Amino acid sequence: MEEDDGAEEQQRFSYRQRLKAAVHYTVGCLCEEVALDKEIQFSKQAIAAISEVTFRQCENFAKDLEMFARHAKRSTINTEDVKLLARRSNSLLKYITEKNEEIAQFNLERKAKKKKKSEDENKNSTEQAEAGVVESEN
Amino acid sequence: MGGAGGFWVPGPEGKGLQAKISDEGSSLHPLLPPPCIIQSCWSLHRAQRALLETPSSRRLSSQTKTTARRRSQRIRSIGKLAHVQASGYLEEQTPRTLLKNILLTAPESSIVMPKSVVKPGPAPQVVQPSSRESSRGSLELQLPELEPPTTLAPGLLAPGRRKQRLRLSVFQEGMDKGLPLSQESRGNADASSLTSSLNLTFATPLQPQSVQRPGLARRPPTRRAVDVGAFLQDLRDTSLALAPPGESLTAPVATLPTDTVLEDTQPFSQPLVGRSPSVHHSLPCPSHSGAEDAERAVSHRTRSTGPRLQNNSPGKPAQLLAGKAEVDALAMNFPNTSSSIFGEVGVEPLQDGVGGEAEERTEKSLSMSKVKEAARARGSARAQEPEGHTQVTEAEGSQGAIETKEPEGSSGDCPTSSRRVSPELASSTPEFLQAKRIQGLEPAPPPSTAVLPSEPLEPLSARLPPRARTPGPKACQNPYKTGLSHYAKLFSFYAKMPMEKKALEMVEKCLDKYFQHLCDDLEMFAAHAGRKTVRPEDLELLMRRQGLVTDQVSLHVLVERHLPLEYRQLLIPCAFSGNSVFPAQ
Repeated sequence: MEEDDGAEEQQRFSYRQRLKAAVHYTVGCLCEEVALDKEIQFSKQAIAAISEVTFRQCENFAKDLEMFARHAKRSTINTEDVKLLARRSNSLLKYITEKNEEIAQFNLERKAKKKKKSEDENKNSTEQAEAGVVESEN
Repeated sequence: MGGAGGFWVPGPEGKGLQAKISDEGSSLHPLLPPPCIIQSCWSLHRAQRALLETPSSRRLSSQTKTTARRRSQRIRSIGKLAHVQASGYLEEQTPRTLLKNILLTAPESSIVMPKSVVKPGPAPQVVQPSSRESSRGSLELQLPELEPPTTLAPGLLAPGRRKQRLRLSVFQEGMDKGLPLSQESRGNADASSLTSSLNLTFATPLQPQSVQRPGLARRPPTRRAVDVGAFLQDLRDTSLALAPPGESLTAPVATLPTDTVLEDTQPFSQPLVGRSPSVHHSLPCPSHSGAEDAERAVSHRTRSTGPRLQNNSPGKPAQLLAGKAEVDALAMNFPNTSSSIFGEVGVEPLQDGVGGEAEERTEKSLSMSKVKEAARARGSARAQEPEGHTQVTEAEGSQGAIETKEPEGSSGDCPTSSRRVSPELASSTPEFLQAKRIQGLEPAPPPSTAVLPSEPLEPLSARLPPRARTPGPKACQNPYKTGLSHYAKLFSFYAKMPMEKKALEMVEKCLDKYFQHLCDDLEMFAAHAGRKTVRPEDLELLMRRQGLVTDQVSLHVLVERHLPLEYRQLLIPCAFSGNSVFPAQ
């Protein structure tokens, strides 16, 4: 049991490290883009600091999201929770709401398509059934 | 009598009610002593419902409309009284209580003075419910009610209140010597008052009695609310008449309020200080009764509403507060003082602590200044959790109306009326906790925790030094700013070095933004949960985000750590006998 716990911890730790590495890589890419854009150089320590802060903040976000969902008596994190989280930054909030609307529209379109498809399928199946019945009768 | 039910329902109509209550209360009886407060509270709640039920169901059909109306009135007043009394005092018809009732409702005049003290309009209404309880003595007291407050030389001293009664008697002796002169000047109009004053057998030795009965002398002078119009009229009338003799009295009178204020146990009594000297300086003699009434009404309206609100079931506040401010204050003051007289343990601190809640509720009915004063009085260091959902809901309701106002101004407002910049320092936990609580409950001046160094902020000790310096007129100027300035002063005190004015202004700005932000957060949390009122859950979420409440440290733990014991029993639900949980969830 203790070994299992130790193994689990190690696994978690390595998982965390991989996540951190991924974040670090992404931050590095973004910093490069900004450096090209603004013609400013980023030191490695700065990138490391930014990635560390991002990682910790993501942990905070996750906890907050969970708290918000629980506060609204839900067990799933919703876009509402995300919006509440992003309320501090106006531009971010705007961006998120726009994206949210886009996604909602997309979902509606999808639903409409699905309905059409299912209707068509139903028609086809009924036709087939009728055809089958007709055939069998015949 | 209502057995363990705890309040006396008078008259034949109440018998059915009494029987009901006694039936309910009989089960509680063996467990009376320690949880009697809670039991009475609980039984009062049930009785309250019964009260409301009986007139509607049984009686109305059988009796006339007038009796039903009277009963409903009485029931409401009794309910209010009962609720205030729920804090533990079981009202009984004893000579002691009767005398107390009489003293409470008696006009402030001595036998020597020909004119009786003013009793403003609402007094008769209030006296009636109280007189129903104390049938004997108070009837006589209703005689001199509406007479203008003319001779108030000894009554003058009444603003001195509390511990000043002893001095009042001494003063009165001096005044008595001067009395014959003033009496003669007044002329025949006094004849009627003389005759009426003769009838006040019980009320007469008000001051001397206080000397003999120190317990009563300590009683807070909760009396009637002031009818402002009558009060001003009296001021005008008497100022002309009493200008010469009044001058000699200004000096002693002026000192009295400040003394009483300093002796006041409530930390934030500045508005009283600001108000009373100004009032007293203007018109010592006639204003005394009015001023004291005003002060009393103000201080005790909020105070009495505190326990009353606290003890009320959720459904009550709107009733109690809406409209009948004066009557309510009086009605509440009456049992309030009775409870305080008999040294109820939790009442006083409860009053102070509950003030936050009281403010929230009384927000609509009281003026902003009063609310602010109450907020400051309550809030002080007592960060308060909203006792129950009801108070927070009330606060929320008033938030919209008061949004523009500053923290304490919108005290009744949502828990977070004041807004500040987002918390920078979560390190100083106790201060932070207080900040949260105070904001959560009252817009009352939040401690400048964000900027203060992480020192253990003892609430009372923190308040004491600045309080001595608080100027009276400044408190009245801008209610929006007063709370912030108070916290800025606290900040400068803890800074331990002289601070520039600009720095203090910046501190105020930061605090303002901080509390605004906090308020907005709370509002969003409530909206996120699909509610329109801020609840303790929202506050807990906020504290969680701030890092004060963690998985290891829960809200209740913080309450236990940092709040006085009286608030603990208000905030943390506890099961009591009789299958009841207080506070109700």
